[in-house]
Amino acid sequence: MAPPTGARPGWSRRAQYGLFFGFLATIAGLLIGLFLLGLSLVAPQAYAGVRSAALDTTAPITGGLREATTTVSGLFSGAGNYWDAARQNAQLKDERARLNRQILQARAILNENRQLKAALQLRERTPAAVATGRIVGSSFESQRRFAVISAGTGDGVRVGMPVRAADGLVGRVVDAGATASRVLLISDRSNIVPARLLRGGQAVISTGRGDGTIDLRPLEVGRNPFRRGDVVVTSGTGGLYSPAIPIARVVRLDDDGAIALPLADPSNVSFALVEQPYEATALAAPAEPEVER
Amino acid sequence: MVRAALGPGGALARGPKRLARFVPASSVVAASTLSLLPIVTEVGWVPDFGFLLLLAWRLLRGDAIPSWWAAPLGLANDLLTGGPIGLSVAIWSGAMLALDLLDRRTMWRDYWVEWGLAALLLLVNEVARWRIDALMRAPHDLAVVWPPLIISILVFPLAAWAASALDRWRLGR
Repeated sequence: MAPPTGARPGWSRRAQYGLFFGFLATIAGLLIGLFLLGLSLVAPQAYAGVRSAALDTTAPITGGLREATTTVSGLFSGAGNYWDAARQNAQLKDERARLNRQILQARAILNENRQLKAALQLRERTPAAVATGRIVGSSFESQRRFAVISAGTGDGVRVGMPVRAADGLVGRVVDAGATASRVLLISDRSNIVPARLLRGGQAVISTGRGDGTIDLRPLEVGRNPFRRGDVVVTSGTGGLYSPAIPIARVVRLDDDGAIALPLADPSNVSFALVEQPYEATALAAPAEPEVER
Repeated sequence: MVRAALGPGGALARGPKRLARFVPASSVVAASTLSLLPIVTEVGWVPDFGFLLLLAWRLLRGDAIPSWWAAPLGLANDLLTGGPIGLSVAIWSGAMLALDLLDRRTMWRDYWVEWGLAALLLLVNEVARWRIDALMRAPHDLAVVWPPLIISILVFPLAAWAASALDRWRLGR
């Protein structure tokens, strides 16, 4: 017969005490865990130091591995590009010619825009970039959507600063270590971004859904303003994100809103740009941009 | 006695490794470290490797990891994965206590019972995470719990295999 798996220490007083105190220590561990959890619910900033220290310790590992994987995948895609060079070259030339024509148009529009703004005497601010970092890792074990970027307080990054990529908005900084920081992605459920429809300019609210998509709702109740393929951009309300950063493209409509995909896909974006908050006062209240829901 | 039996790798030279006591706990930390892999995804469906391996060790042997070690291991997991601090501490300690109590209640043990127990604890883990996320202003639908839960239940036999292979190696069997 197999020996019982339960705790049967026999006659040894030492073994009996060992088991008993182990049991007490486990219960103490449970209580300490609940206490720590309660603290991280009511006062998450209490852990800022330990969290950023952990981030600084672990991010170099992720960064190094990321470097290795991009090198390897770069070798393959690089070889693929050579294979198809002639056709790609022709395609790219066509595209360049097309883009050149568009740039001329855009320049004319920009000029006109500047004149109009000068006529209206609008104060123009372009937020300064604070730092650039590579996106090295993400929270692939939990439903919350976080990414780790390789720029920290040493580069001037502070908690609450907005993060964007060339393609669009990425999110905002929630933990800042000395050399790395953690970014709350716009696809996280708790990230609410005041936005505006590019076509028509109607105010909408973008909320992450935790599965890589974004939920869009119009601020005013009424007819569903979305169409498939619509792009939403930040509105600048709340003062954290500067206006007109692309956020997402609508892929599906539902009864009173739409589901959209972020334009800056963190898994493809190689560089993330940390910017100053649009209004300097927005850092004072970094938790949420003010939005009437 | 054949002289070969005394050589390295012979029948007599086998035995527990020098730090055999610490192999299970350090393997759990190593499993938590897997969350540092440079994978950038938009969905969080990858199982919680640390918890899986902890459960696998605990179900394989009652004495491989002393119950109270779950708290520091959980803290290490929280710091490595960047989750809310204290969540794994509480859940892992609670799981160890629950399994200690269940050890006295279960009449027999086989693979299916262990898999069922693991599935139950994984469910508790996912739902607790879901609740805590909701309290941290990220109230998901309950539907997001199922895909990672099913994946981690299906991955559990792999963790059980890893634990038993490590166990044989550390004890020099």
